[in-house]
Amino acid sequence: MDKSTIVCKCEEINIDEIETALKAGACQFDDIKRLTRCGMGPCQSKVCTNMVREIIAAYTGEPMEHIEYPKNRMPIKITRLGVLVANQETSSVVSVFKESVSEVDTNG
Amino acid sequence: MDKYVDIAIIGSGVVGSSIAYHLSESRQKEIIVIDKGFPLSGTSGSTQAWVWVHNKSPSWYGELSMYSAELYPFLEKKIGDVEYKRTGGIAPFFDEEDREKALKLAEKQAEVGIKVEVLNRNQVLEKEPVLSSKIAGATYSSIDGNVNPFRLVELYIKAAKKNDVKFSFYNPVIDIKKESGFFRITTKNEGTYTAEKIILAGGPWTKELGSFLGIDIPVKQVRGQILVTEPLAPLFRHTIAGMRQTDNGEVLIGYSKEEVGYDRRTTMEVIQDTAKMAVDYIPALANANLVRSFSGVRVIPEDGFPIVGEISNIKNAYLAVMHSGVTLSPLVGTLMAELLLEGETSIDLGRLSLDRFEKKSNGAVVQ
Amino acid sequence: MEFELVIIGGGPAGLMAALTAAEKGVKTAIVEESFALGGQLRQQAQVLENLPKEFGKQSGIALAKFFSNKVSSIGVTALLGHTMIGTYRNGTIGVSNGKDTFPIYAKKILVTTGAAEQAALFPGWTLPGVMTIGAAQILLNRERVLPGKEAVVLGCNSISYDIAKQLRACGVNVQGIIEKKSIDEIDKELIEKFESENIEVFFHSNIEKAAGKQHVEKVWIDNDVLKKEREIDLVCISNGLYPVTEPLELLDCEFTYIENLGGRIPKYGSSFTTSNSSVYVAGNAAGITCIEGILVTASIAVTGILEDLAILNNIEAKKQKEILWTELLKAETGRYSKVHDARISLVNDFLPKEI
Repeated sequence: MDKSTIVCKCEEINIDEIETALKAGACQFDDIKRLTRCGMGPCQSKVCTNMVREIIAAYTGEPMEHIEYPKNRMPIKITRLGVLVANQETSSVVSVFKESVSEVDTNG
Repeated sequence: MDKYVDIAIIGSGVVGSSIAYHLSESRQKEIIVIDKGFPLSGTSGSTQAWVWVHNKSPSWYGELSMYSAELYPFLEKKIGDVEYKRTGGIAPFFDEEDREKALKLAEKQAEVGIKVEVLNRNQVLEKEPVLSSKIAGATYSSIDGNVNPFRLVELYIKAAKKNDVKFSFYNPVIDIKKESGFFRITTKNEGTYTAEKIILAGGPWTKELGSFLGIDIPVKQVRGQILVTEPLAPLFRHTIAGMRQTDNGEVLIGYSKEEVGYDRRTTMEVIQDTAKMAVDYIPALANANLVRSFSGVRVIPEDGFPIVGEISNIKNAYLAVMHSGVTLSPLVGTLMAELLLEGETSIDLGRLSLDRFEKKSNGAVVQ
Repeated sequence: MEFELVIIGGGPAGLMAALTAAEKGVKTAIVEESFALGGQLRQQAQVLENLPKEFGKQSGIALAKFFSNKVSSIGVTALLGHTMIGTYRNGTIGVSNGKDTFPIYAKKILVTTGAAEQAALFPGWTLPGVMTIGAAQILLNRERVLPGKEAVVLGCNSISYDIAKQLRACGVNVQGIIEKKSIDEIDKELIEKFESENIEVFFHSNIEKAAGKQHVEKVWIDNDVLKKEREIDLVCISNGLYPVTEPLELLDCEFTYIENLGGRIPKYGSSFTTSNSSVYVAGNAAGITCIEGILVTASIAVTGILEDLAILNNIEAKKQKEILWTELLKAETGRYSKVHDARISLVNDFLPKEI
C-alpha cells in the first residue's frame, strides 16, 4: 500500500511515519504514539487502533494477540473543564509557589 | 553471550540518554544503554517538561538548575531542535500576605545570580492578560521555559547513536554483580554484559537497580497527573507554574503529588482538582475541552535533591537519579561525562553525593 | 446519586438487563450518552428474525421503541445525555451530563457498551463519502438522507447484505460487494441471498485505493486477475465489529484476547462477572454476537446480579442460568458457533479472585 496513506486522521500520521518509529525500535502502539503523536488526537485512537496494530504485526511478524492496545485514558469522552469543576470548591493540587516558599522557610 | 563495554548505562530516559550522548561526544569509550522498555515509556515521556529554575530552592539548587537551563541553547545547536523555548516563568499567588515570602525568595535567588521579579496583580495581567484577576501577584523570571520531552529524548538518543553508542531496548536488567573489578550485568534478552563502569539512571526503578549492588538508594515514587486540552488558539505564552501551552495549542495542566507506588492510573478526584486549579488560574479555560489525562511517576530522592556521582564504596559505579530530570539533563550529562572521562567535574558534586544520606542517619545535619 | 444497579449503555443489552432487574424490584439506572434509548437498534429498519420468542419478529426500530416505553413505565432511571467519563480512586464511576460531573454510587455495575465498527485502511479511506455501514444506516434510517447514488460495499456478510438491500430499496445503485476472501470461504446461503437480489460480489478482491477531489469519485478494485475502476460516490465499509470496553478498562477488569469474540475482551465467568466482582458485562461488549445472543447474555448477567444481591437464591439462580445458557447455545449456532465455543473456553478459564 502507498506509504503516504494516512492512518491516524486526527494527527494526520501516515504509514511511513509509523514504520519509521518501528525501525527505531518501537514495538507497541504507545511507543509509536510518543514518537509520532499517532492516536493522540481528539478521537484518542478509537478509529486507528486496530489499523496501527495490524501495521505493527505485519512489521514485527508477531501475531495480533501480542500487539498491545494503547493505554486508555480518562475522560472516555472529551469534557469541558468547566463541566469538570462545576461542583469543585477546593483543589488538592499543590501550588508551585507555596511549595517553593515553604522550602525557603525550612531550608533557607 | 558475553559482551564487553567500557561504560554501561542503565536507563534510557532523559537522564541516561543525556549522559550517553555527552559521554559519546569524545568517542573515546564503548558505551551501551540498556532499558527495560522503550524510551519515553516511563517518567521522561509523562511530563510537562518545564525547564524550571526560579522557584528551585535553596538557592544552590536553583543555581544548578540555572546552569542547566543556560546549556539548552548550546545543546540544541548540537543535537537539533528540541523545541526549547525560554518563555519566562510565572508562579502566581493568591494571598497578598505571600508577597513577603516572594520577596524573600527573590532575595535568596539573587545571591546566586537568578533574577526573580515579584509582580503585583497589574504586572501579572500585563504579562498574561488571560490570568485571573483574583491573583494577588506572582514571582517571575525570564530564565524559565519548556521543551518537548519527546524530541529531547529522541534527539539525545539519535545523537548518541551517531557517535556509536549502542542501545538495547525492551531488555530488563535482572542482575548486576561486581567480579574482579568489572560489572557483570545480566539482562533478560541479551545475556550478560561486562562493563568497566556502570551508571544507574533508572529513574523510579533506580532503587531496584541499587539493590543488585547491595546499596539502598533513598528515592520515593510520586505520581503526578496531567490534563491535556484540545488544541487551542494561542492563549498564553509563558510557562505558568502548573501549566503550559504546547506548540500545537494543547494546554498541559497539572501539579499533583501522590505517593501510591508505581501506579500510572489517573483518578477523577485529581482530574477534577486539576481542572479547578486551571480554571482558578485562567478562567477562560473553563470552555476548553479536556481530551485526555495521563500520569507519570516522578522519582524524588528523600530530601528532594539530585543524587549524582560515584558510589563511594563501589568504585566505578555511578548514580544519576533526580526529580526535574528534564531541567537538569544537559548539566548532569555534561558533569557525568567530565567525571567519567577526566575524573573531576567543573562544578563540585559533593552536595549531590549519596553519602549525605548516611550522614543523616548518623544524626549529622545535612547542608 | 445511588442505585443498586447502574447499567452503562442503553442499547439492547442494557435495556434487556434494566427491564429484567427492575421487574425484580432492583433500583436501576441506565447511563446513556445519547438522548434516546435503543443504541444501534434505533437505525435498524430491517426485521430482526431471531429474537427471543417473547419479542416475536420486529424491526430494530420497533424493538427500541418497545424497550424505551417499557423501561420508563417500570421505574428505571434513564440518565440520557449522561456519559461515564472515568472512575474515582475507590472505583466509583464518574459521570458527566454536559453541565456537571459527579459520582454515581452503585452496588453493581453492568457494562453494556456494545460494539464499534472497524474502519478499513486503503489510500483515500478518509475521503467524504467513505463511511461505515452504521454511518450509512444512520443517514438512511434516522436522518432520512441518501448517503450517495452509486455505491460499492466492502465486506460480504449478513450486515452488508442488509444495508445493500436497503440502499437499493432507496434507489441507490449498488455496483457490487468487494470481499477479500475467496468464494469457498463464504457461507453458501449468504451468497445465494446476494445472488437472488442480483447484487454482484467480487471475491478475492480489495479496494486498492479510492480517490476524488472533495468527495470520493472513484475506487480501484484489485483482484488477482483484473483491475476494475469504478465511478462511485459512496463506499460503505463492513469490516466487522469490535467490543467497546473503555469503562471496563477504567474499572480495572482483567482482559484477554480472543479473535473469535472480536479481539480484546474482558475475562468473565458463567454469570458474566468480570475480575472486578462488582462489575458485570453483557451484549457485544462481552464478545461480538447476534441480537439474540446480545439479549440472552444480558439476561444471564442480570441473573448473576440478582443472585449477588440475594434477590434470587442459589438454587433459583442456578436453574435460571442453566435455561439461559441453553438458549444462548441455541442462539449462537451456525456461523456464531465459533463465538459460542470461544465464550465457553473463556468462561471455563475464569477463576474468581480470592476474596
